[in-house]
Amino acid sequence: MTASQTEHPATTRPPLWRDAVVVKWVAQVFTLVVVVGVLIFLVTQAKTSLNDNGIRTGFDFIKTNPGFQLAEGIDTSPATGGRALYVGMVNMFRITFVGIIFATMLGVLVGLGRLSGNWMVEKVSTVFVETIRNVPLLVQIIFYDAVITQLAPVEFGVGPISGWFMVTQKGVSMPRIFAADGFYQWAVVVLVGAVVARFVYRHEVDRRDETGQDTKPGFKAMGTIVAFGLLGLLIHPLFGFLGPIFGGIARVIGAIPPGAVQLALIALAATAVVIWIRRFWASFDGPSGRAKLTDDDWFRIVFAGIGGLLVAAVVVLWPGLSAWIVHSTHDFFRFLETKFEFGNWSRPLDGMRPGVIKPDRFTSFSPNGLTMSRAFAAVFLGVVLYTASFIAEIIRGGILAVPKGQLEAADAVGLTKGQKLRHIVLPQAFRVILPPMGNQYLNLAKNTTLAIAVGYSDLVQVGQTLYNQSGRTIEVMAIWMLFYLSVSLGLSSIVNFWNVRLKLVER
Amino acid sequence: MTEPTSPNVTAGGRVQLARPKEPYIPPREWIRDNLFSTPFNSILTVLFTALVFVMTRGMLGFIFGHDRRWEAPATNLRFLMTQAYPDEQYIRVWFTFGWILALAGLSLAAWNAAPRVGYRNLARKAASVGVAVALIGLVAPAMSTSGRLQYVLIGAIPMAAGIIALKILDNHDTRDMSAFVVQVLVVAGIILSLWTVPYGQHTFVDGAARVDSGTVAQSTKLPLTIMLLVIIAAFYVGRTIRPHFKQLKAVLGGIWLLSPFILTTLVLRDPAFDSGHLLSTDIPIGLAFALGGGAILWLLSSAKAGETGRIAAAIILVLAFASFLTPMRMIVRIDALMLAGAALSSATFAGSREARLRFVGGWMGAIVIVNWLVTATNTPSTVFGLPTGTFYGGGLTLTLIITSFTLIFAFPLGVTMALARTSKMPIFRVMSTAYIETIRGIPLITVFIFFAIMLPLLLPDGMEVAKIPAIVIGYVLFSSAYLAENVRGGLQSIGRGQHEAAEALGLTTAQKTLMITLPQALRVSIPPLVGQAIGTFKESSLVLIVGLFDLLFIARNVIPNTSGFLGAQREPLMVASFIYWAGSYSMSKASQRVERKLGLGER
Repeated sequence: MTASQTEHPATTRPPLWRDAVVVKWVAQVFTLVVVVGVLIFLVTQAKTSLNDNGIRTGFDFIKTNPGFQLAEGIDTSPATGGRALYVGMVNMFRITFVGIIFATMLGVLVGLGRLSGNWMVEKVSTVFVETIRNVPLLVQIIFYDAVITQLAPVEFGVGPISGWFMVTQKGVSMPRIFAADGFYQWAVVVLVGAVVARFVYRHEVDRRDETGQDTKPGFKAMGTIVAFGLLGLLIHPLFGFLGPIFGGIARVIGAIPPGAVQLALIALAATAVVIWIRRFWASFDGPSGRAKLTDDDWFRIVFAGIGGLLVAAVVVLWPGLSAWIVHSTHDFFRFLETKFEFGNWSRPLDGMRPGVIKPDRFTSFSPNGLTMSRAFAAVFLGVVLYTASFIAEIIRGGILAVPKGQLEAADAVGLTKGQKLRHIVLPQAFRVILPPMGNQYLNLAKNTTLAIAVGYSDLVQVGQTLYNQSGRTIEVMAIWMLFYLSVSLGLSSIVNFWNVRLKLVER
Repeated sequence: MTEPTSPNVTAGGRVQLARPKEPYIPPREWIRDNLFSTPFNSILTVLFTALVFVMTRGMLGFIFGHDRRWEAPATNLRFLMTQAYPDEQYIRVWFTFGWILALAGLSLAAWNAAPRVGYRNLARKAASVGVAVALIGLVAPAMSTSGRLQYVLIGAIPMAAGIIALKILDNHDTRDMSAFVVQVLVVAGIILSLWTVPYGQHTFVDGAARVDSGTVAQSTKLPLTIMLLVIIAAFYVGRTIRPHFKQLKAVLGGIWLLSPFILTTLVLRDPAFDSGHLLSTDIPIGLAFALGGGAILWLLSSAKAGETGRIAAAIILVLAFASFLTPMRMIVRIDALMLAGAALSSATFAGSREARLRFVGGWMGAIVIVNWLVTATNTPSTVFGLPTGTFYGGGLTLTLIITSFTLIFAFPLGVTMALARTSKMPIFRVMSTAYIETIRGIPLITVFIFFAIMLPLLLPDGMEVAKIPAIVIGYVLFSSAYLAENVRGGLQSIGRGQHEAAEALGLTTAQKTLMITLPQALRVSIPPLVGQAIGTFKESSLVLIVGLFDLLFIARNVIPNTSGFLGAQREPLMVASFIYWAGSYSMSKASQRVERKLGLGER
């Protein structure tokens, strides 16, 4: 080989089958053709197999009556297959959102616990993490389900809250908190208080920086909010004047023709896509010129364009959407109007207190109070504990990743413990924590599909029932793929957005 | 970093830092510093102690409750392990287990992986185990007084031994012993106790308790004792031959890779070979490819082959693809494709006579193994006499089979995907990016459902695939996308200098990838890859949803439906969770040790 290279001068072109460029392109095109060929072959094969087995295809099942009921959801007897799938999606989001919130809270606590100087706390957190994350999630969900199923009814709560929490074979119930009369008006007063508190905080911080005294800005800001809260108990009926204003807004919105909203939405989608792509583009400009775009980036740009087009297409093809937007906004302001009416207020001390409805001592689902079905509780518990054990490790890793010198420097500058945490540790740890955290949220969203094992009506479970009834397997699977892909891409672009914002500007 | 102050040279010639002396802290100071340093900490300690007490009591109440039916998993333990493997053939299962243990013992010795444990540490551990056992007796609700006394007395023995040892040993004692010996002693104690304690009577046949006697298949104490002896013997054999056998690690690695194939197709299935067909078809095809292909490769790997060699390799490739368009035995097509691959890469292995001989020898070995396995897979099993492809076992065996096959096949596919995604060729890059991102966006369960239902419809007439292989294919495609991302992380961590140096040396792209880039990238990716292997093991439980009889399915759906144990679901589930937990936890601990040994993350 080396001999042949020395014989030929470097300038002569090698023969065609030795030319690196040619060989590489031939290999690529050849692979592409083979892959596409195999895919086409498989699809035709699937078509013939389906025809041979007498299975019809098509998306008509979306519009016909599915002929089954769902165990739970916003609509337990859906009129069409599409509605059933929609209920499944809502159920999936329900568990995902609540799960993300609780898993984050628990995970952060456990992660901090593992770093605690307290031996007992550290050991308990470690045992939690090492136990939970090494047992498969599906096993956990099934186990929790089995435990709840075979449980004798249990009531929790002592003293005044005795009997507020109940676990029975049918599910878990807990008190529901609702807004009492005048609560909204009182909330506006508190909101004003929060704005004032912010000014107070700013002012006190400035004063501390000037004079060097400890002016306790946080303490005073909290005091302001509490003061406004107390004041609100007395003066909240005054804010009744907001009621007619909201009513006016509602009437104005109700008069907007849906066509205008449709146009506005399309314009909005187009502008958003253009702005996004330009921003994305600009984020690659550095001091040393434009950075090279990776395939991922191209993928995202193309996907943003497709996403915008899809949004526009949905708006055009589905005029009900803009009508729905108009309606719901109108209804929302109407709702506020009724809540803010002058007559809608309560005696001073009752105004702020949220009402609590105790669940019935139930044998069936109680209409009062909050209830979780058994399947929901099992999936929720499993998903939250499992994800929390991973989040705990991420939090711990992120905090340990802050260099020791940073903490020592903070001590040397004389920062307090809280300042050190707020200004030194958290901003640096957050940068390390965020990307894997986003991954965990994605995993959580995908893991909710395990709900099928305990019969919780999420999209996969509903889809399975649907294709068992109608035989439209491919179509249902296509819907699954589309849905989960969009959820994943949506969640990951949110995480990416924050990631880019928090990224260190590297030189 | 600082210079090592007092290096110890071990027998292997490696330099180890002397273990720093642990400062001795009196218990009272330790309690003050770690539990009651501030008022807040004291409150936390009290709260968490109460929490631990309540949780432990609840847990023990669950385990020792009067209505617990632990005999459900105990009697059906064989169901959990192998589903309904026939009694008279059960020796095959034990052989499989023994094979794995022997390999494990040899590997422990070959990699010198046995960590050491200090005497003081050991004494402390013994004492804490004793305390834990005694606490079970004290804390557990619903237990008879004599039962409590038993636990306390049993716990008192190691507790007393540990405390006495701690008193005798110097506070700065640094002597230690092999942890492997300690583990073997503990396991030996448990297994040998089977000979005296009468719990061997829970033999596992159809829910009916059977006296522990008769064939090997029904008794566990004798086979388990043999297993214990096997792993001890293997460890010491490995330790003796390690200094004399340079290739030990490579050979063991090869056997580990082949084990799943050999154990499932040959041992557990026991194919009924038809000698006439074997002599007339299978052996001639294998011989032709081994010898003929070997000769071709010998010529192609010669330094003089040059252009002609490449053209010949290209012709073989075209012929191999053409073989799929004409009716032909599948094994011939597979062999031809392998030959084309080897011929294309033959230039990479060109060089000295020894290198060429090794290349051709490797080819012959590969052909023999592949043909043997394919033939064995396509031969009906004698164990059940079921048609081709139908599997004969379940439970933990199936879980392990799915996991190991998925890992073995996903690895090359994932590495290929990672290389494609980081390569400079745009079509490859876009294809693998699209594949990886799509797969990563969809949940595993939908992949399983797709492959369980749709794969039979996608295949051409006359080609069939059973449910388990179909699921494994889906799982391979799924895991390879995640694996590719892990390997890509490793590939990106390699500095430009390495590429430039390789190019400066005049290495071809294949040589650069195989010899420079990949070894370094894979070394960096070991921690995430082990994490993924653990995930693959855990998530194999999802096959439950498509109705495969894996460990979880048996624990959840089969045992609670056996006569005598109706509705006993939580007990087998606890046992299954423990098995999953033990597997994942030990794997993650082992990987942490390997990480420390390789010094990853310390630079």
